[in-house]
Amino acid sequence: MDLLDLIDAVQSVADGVLFGATYSLLGIGFTLIFGVMHKINLSYAAASIGAAYASLLVMSVVQAPAVLAFVAAAAAGGVIGGLVYLVGFRFIPLANPLATLMSTVGLLLLIDEIIVHATDGVPLSYPALFSDVIVQVGPFGLRGDLMFVFALGCVCMVLLLLLLYRTRLGLATRAVSQQPTASLLCGISTTRVNVLTFVITGVVGGIAGAMTGAAIGMLSPLLSLPLTVKGLIVTVIGGLGSIPGAIIAGLIVGGLENAFQFFRGVSERDLYIMLLLFAFLVFRPGGIFAKSSGRD
Amino acid sequence: MDFYLGLIQIIGVHTLLGLSAYCVLLTGQVSLAQAGFFAIGAYVAGILTVLAQWPLIPALAVAAVVSGAVACAVGFPALRVKGLMLVVATVAFGEAVRLFFFNFTYQIQAGVLHLGPHGAEGFRQIRYFPQHGWSTLDVALFIWTVVALVMAGLWWLDHSRIGAVLRAVGEDELAAQSVGINITAVKVSAMTVGGFIAGIGGGIFAHYTTHIEHAQFGVVLATFAIAYPILGGLSNVFGTLLAAVFIQGFLIEGLRFMGDWRNLLFGGLIVLAMNVRPRGLLDAGTTRALRRLFAPRKERSGA
Repeated sequence: MDLLDLIDAVQSVADGVLFGATYSLLGIGFTLIFGVMHKINLSYAAASIGAAYASLLVMSVVQAPAVLAFVAAAAAGGVIGGLVYLVGFRFIPLANPLATLMSTVGLLLLIDEIIVHATDGVPLSYPALFSDVIVQVGPFGLRGDLMFVFALGCVCMVLLLLLLYRTRLGLATRAVSQQPTASLLCGISTTRVNVLTFVITGVVGGIAGAMTGAAIGMLSPLLSLPLTVKGLIVTVIGGLGSIPGAIIAGLIVGGLENAFQFFRGVSERDLYIMLLLFAFLVFRPGGIFAKSSGRD
Repeated sequence: MDFYLGLIQIIGVHTLLGLSAYCVLLTGQVSLAQAGFFAIGAYVAGILTVLAQWPLIPALAVAAVVSGAVACAVGFPALRVKGLMLVVATVAFGEAVRLFFFNFTYQIQAGVLHLGPHGAEGFRQIRYFPQHGWSTLDVALFIWTVVALVMAGLWWLDHSRIGAVLRAVGEDELAAQSVGINITAVKVSAMTVGGFIAGIGGGIFAHYTTHIEHAQFGVVLATFAIAYPILGGLSNVFGTLLAAVFIQGFLIEGLRFMGDWRNLLFGGLIVLAMNVRPRGLLDAGTTRALRRLFAPRKERSGA
């Protein structure tokens, strides 16, 4: 491999790491919901894409700068998150994990189909910010839209960490995730915490959906299944319940994905990601920042 | 008429897929790898009848054994983890299998035709049934004979000591372990049986569709596989059958007159079904007496 190939490889890995911020946000969402409810919400990535579509709807009604699409996506994500909780979790007995798993699968299909129905299955273009900016660092060029996505992702993560570790709501959330019964006895309403967790993760998901749209340049319902799988992978590689783990794992998966794509071609890319994940689960099931006594 | 026979064939194959997930779910493990085993069965059986000119039954048997062996080999590492981690591990395995077949090309020249799997284009010309003069009715009867045999086998398994052991592991692993059950062995065995059944189902699937490709064996098929037993209820094998008829017969074919709206209703009805019947369709009324044979469940809210 000569120098030019090396530069190309590093360039594609850097692009991947920047895009990996989306995976990080999705991974955080899965981790948070699993943390407080010990349930998997498989409809999460679909809801995120749905929120991005909702923001496009808002943008088509009101003439507004492209930044507003992200705000609208976040708001729509919060609403969808609350609805998902109401429909898929509220009235199903918590003692039966299979039922909520299935109801979120139903919601995943439902959200996908609503999108297909509303758009006739045609991919829609999504406004990108700073797409004309390219920052030259030596021989490498960093795309402005990807950098914006990355920066936005970092801001979201910092805000989320502040929310979790510096507010009463965050304290309650962490209490419920550690010991639901004990926190109930302390006067914390677990239902309220659950709803708020879904709304907050929904907001994060909405932003992630918008980021995906902005980075790829378009939205398609076909995105939701791969994003679900990637989000779950990030959750596992980062370690369940670990937010720093999810952040790092998202960036790693983004970078590796592009590296495999560069060296082995797009058709084999995901195969290696899956094999890597499988190896990870076998040899290090607790994730990157594994604690000595993991629960699941 | 052929339309209904075709539908009956589809329901039969999907019942087999559901039953393969049923075995694994009995031990409390959610496996999304069933589509992977199904794919392995489909490709192995197809390769044997098309490229090696084997008769169907031995080809299906080999496909089942290969899928079962893979399931066993995957089960050992995968079942070290549980819950969400197992879901992800099995998704990863299933996707890896799908992507393997996406990149898998092995063709031979037969006259003007190229036979065998060809990467993204898939595996065409699996024409065992037409070549050997099987009518649609013959195929439907064959499929349901296999389904009946598998269901009878699982029914027997359910009512033997083995079924009790499987359910014990599913209900409470710690308690099962403390009475001396080797839970790893039980889980891996369940996974192996599930892989075996999925292999048979996949082999049959390859032969009645005559054309298989990687995209058919994705995460969607895997979620369908676990949807049947969960929606139907885990109290006995007929729940899976009922759910396969409900999903394939009613939700997919029966609602076709609704056109575009059918797909919307599909997801919505699954959510609704889980809200009103959290423990599955075959849970209420008629099977109550049957269910007393097993450990009585506590809550039945909403049902």
